[in-house]
Amino acid sequence: MLHRRERTSMTILDLIKKRNVLLDGGFGTELFKRGFPRGACLETWNVERPEVVKEIHGSYFEAGSDAVMANSFGGNAIKLSSHGQGKRCYELNKAAAGIANEVKPKGGFVGGDIGPTGKFLRPQGEFTEAEFEEAFAEQARGLCDGKADFLLIETQYDLREALCALRAARKVAAIPVFVSMTFNRVPRGFFTLMGNSVPDCLQELEREGVPAVGANCNLDSSDMADLVKVMRENTRLPLIAQANAGKPSLSSEGGVSYSQGMEDYLRHIPRIIENGAQIVGGCCGTDPEYIRRMAAIVKKED
Amino acid sequence: MKKEELYAKMATAIIEGRKSEAEDLAREAIKAKLDLTEVIEKGYVPGIQKVGELWEKGDYFLPELITGGECMKAAMAVLQPELDKAKIKTKSKGKVVIGTVEGDIHDIGKNLVSSMLSANGFDVVDLGADVKLEKFIEKAEETKADFICLSALLTTTMLGQKKAIELLKQKNLYGKYKVLVGGAPANQKWSDEIGADGYAENAMLAVKLAARLKGA
Repeated sequence: MLHRRERTSMTILDLIKKRNVLLDGGFGTELFKRGFPRGACLETWNVERPEVVKEIHGSYFEAGSDAVMANSFGGNAIKLSSHGQGKRCYELNKAAAGIANEVKPKGGFVGGDIGPTGKFLRPQGEFTEAEFEEAFAEQARGLCDGKADFLLIETQYDLREALCALRAARKVAAIPVFVSMTFNRVPRGFFTLMGNSVPDCLQELEREGVPAVGANCNLDSSDMADLVKVMRENTRLPLIAQANAGKPSLSSEGGVSYSQGMEDYLRHIPRIIENGAQIVGGCCGTDPEYIRRMAAIVKKED
Repeated sequence: MKKEELYAKMATAIIEGRKSEAEDLAREAIKAKLDLTEVIEKGYVPGIQKVGELWEKGDYFLPELITGGECMKAAMAVLQPELDKAKIKTKSKGKVVIGTVEGDIHDIGKNLVSSMLSANGFDVVDLGADVKLEKFIEKAEETKADFICLSALLTTTMLGQKKAIELLKQKNLYGKYKVLVGGAPANQKWSDEIGADGYAENAMLAVKLAARLKGA
């Protein structure tokens, strides 16, 4: 069954046509700041501690995010099963989108976040494409029933897996589905972990009719700006860019810091936009303060 | 075929990821009654090393690395019964107990390190992901391991690496095993701070590190 949102107001695609769109920043780290236990399954708090999840979404909307991503990054049935939560896939995803909607301001959007399974397809792994699709479809159903405005398939290091998620999402969702890949920088250019090149990814996703594509995670904002330039050369679609604040490191006391730091991170945001990204947000190591500072750079009405 | 030619073909089969060819060449070597330890060292090992180099350079990616490891395993499976029959013990480069620490279900990096160590002649006991810290130590004791390798992807679970070392100290086993740490948030400084024996950024460097520490 297809789920269709009532078109009462502007969709996120309409907004992208109007001006650059600001997404949110890191989520897991915000949960940990609020006492989330080490190693547990983040999505369970959508049901057990929804007020905490809601507060984080609220802080991003307040900081200027046009759209926040539901707490569903690890919410596909396969990833949840690794935590022994596989049977709760629909419930946890529906709750994820539902509670984000409760703090959504007028004109704001909630994205259903779909991250990777953490497993490989055959022949590198044990899974079939049909199994991946089933795991993602269950998640997409939950996110749609929780009234997500769009879906973002993100942090994808395998184009085949991203396409599985895309097919699955489209079977159950009539809302826009965006795809964001994760690239490494090597001497020959930018490639995913599985070796997919930028043109391979973007051309395939464009052929599939994805309305917005891009990249997130792994790269800092300087490398991301370079990647956006390469992506722009390979597609005319609206581009998503969400950089990490460098590499994480941990002190022996357990404090986490990211190598880039906020000022250097922000310094490259204008270049990310000049090079052609229209949908910009943060990734690992960023927080509402980063987003507040990015809002001034990203959300200029054209 | 001259044995040098055969060795070159073995290396190429591994580099190009042709499993059945790697197996056929192993059978050929057995038939020709070649010195099988030399076959491994001069034929297959240079192949997997080249795969690792190409991966480090960014010419190869994860699928090629995994396939290379599998070809290596397949060739070794053909040779092993013959080695056993002749009572030839291939020199293990060392025994490794490896896993992702408790609370962390991520195993892609750990699997690569495990597969590359194994392909490069280490004896690997892979405990999987979300492994209790006590289990690493129990298994190392039981198998008389040289190395305990602790993987973690998350900054939150990485503390498990530190705790595992504390646990070794409590049990008076600190120093008995070389403890290696890895994972996206890990680095040399972290390794030094928590008293581990080493850190490697990727699977190939992990092989080099383990070989160096074992030699020392």
